[in-house]
Amino acid sequence: MGADDKWLDRDSGPVVRPYAVTGGRTEPADGEVLDLIAVVVVTHRGGGPDEAGLSPEHRRIMTLCERPVTVADVAADTGLPLGVVRVLLADLTQQGRISVLPQRRADEQPSADLLKEVLHGLRAL
Amino acid sequence: MGSVPSDGTAESPHSLFKILVAGGFGAGKTTLVGAISEVRPLRTEEPLTSASIAFDDLNGVDRKTSTTVAMDFGRITIGSRLVLYLFGTPGQERFWFMWDELAYGALGAVVLADTRRLSDCFPSVDYFEKRELPFVVAINCFDDAIRYDPEEVRVALDLDPRVPTVLCDARQVGSVKQVLITLVEHVLANRPKGGSDARPAPVTEV
Repeated sequence: MGADDKWLDRDSGPVVRPYAVTGGRTEPADGEVLDLIAVVVVTHRGGGPDEAGLSPEHRRIMTLCERPVTVADVAADTGLPLGVVRVLLADLTQQGRISVLPQRRADEQPSADLLKEVLHGLRAL
Repeated sequence: MGSVPSDGTAESPHSLFKILVAGGFGAGKTTLVGAISEVRPLRTEEPLTSASIAFDDLNGVDRKTSTTVAMDFGRITIGSRLVLYLFGTPGQERFWFMWDELAYGALGAVVLADTRRLSDCFPSVDYFEKRELPFVVAINCFDDAIRYDPEEVRVALDLDPRVPTVLCDARQVGSVKQVLITLVEHVLANRPKGGSDARPAPVTEV
């Protein structure tokens, strides 16, 4: 068995390295790390998106974001690693193609009423 | 396809919550998440840290500088405006780089315990105690495991008496539902009054 055989099983990793689709970039262009359940949606600003120059992965994400969707959903639906999705989403945000919907502050308490609503909903499931 | 439920207007208010499901390998995290929601794998690609290098066999992969971690990801839609997102997280300490992110803004956590390997959930319990993230311990009743009283498990884990400890069957939707209800009741009961408290809380309003 030659040394090369070590690379012939799943341990050798994906055929395309995950960050190849980002051109090797591992950090979002705007430096902002989106929360897993941050919600993104296409803007359709300026009358329809011009998709020239977008990679297939960018386009796939644009399609998924036609309705409001979380970052985690985008990663699960594309099968791309979370870090890759964040880089691609930042590209699209910077180009004004998608926007991140406003969030309540993460350190803010949920109201008792909201929690009761969750409880009520869970019980009714 | 997983869009945030919408009644057609992107402006309609939704509240999204993160709940972590932690526990040792084989404790039933995937089963639990899958019992109550459609479950999908969520991949992360993370740089290898010195902590994980001690665990990963890097023989022959000397240029490998990142590692893939798969989480179980589920979503429960409640009514028209509430969505719970469940994240089944690998329980080992080597994945803590991910936990910090997951725990930030989370509503709370479920620690799944397997009484045959109770020590597997120690790191999760320690972590949530340190983060002051509300959690419940759910003892997954495997068919071939000796049944313990939840109080015995509480003592074995040296848990704060306020932390709920419940028996569950991670395969049964009704049982999993009850675990989540227990968690939300716990969060509600221990909600700081008059709060400018900075405990992590649900995060997104759409």
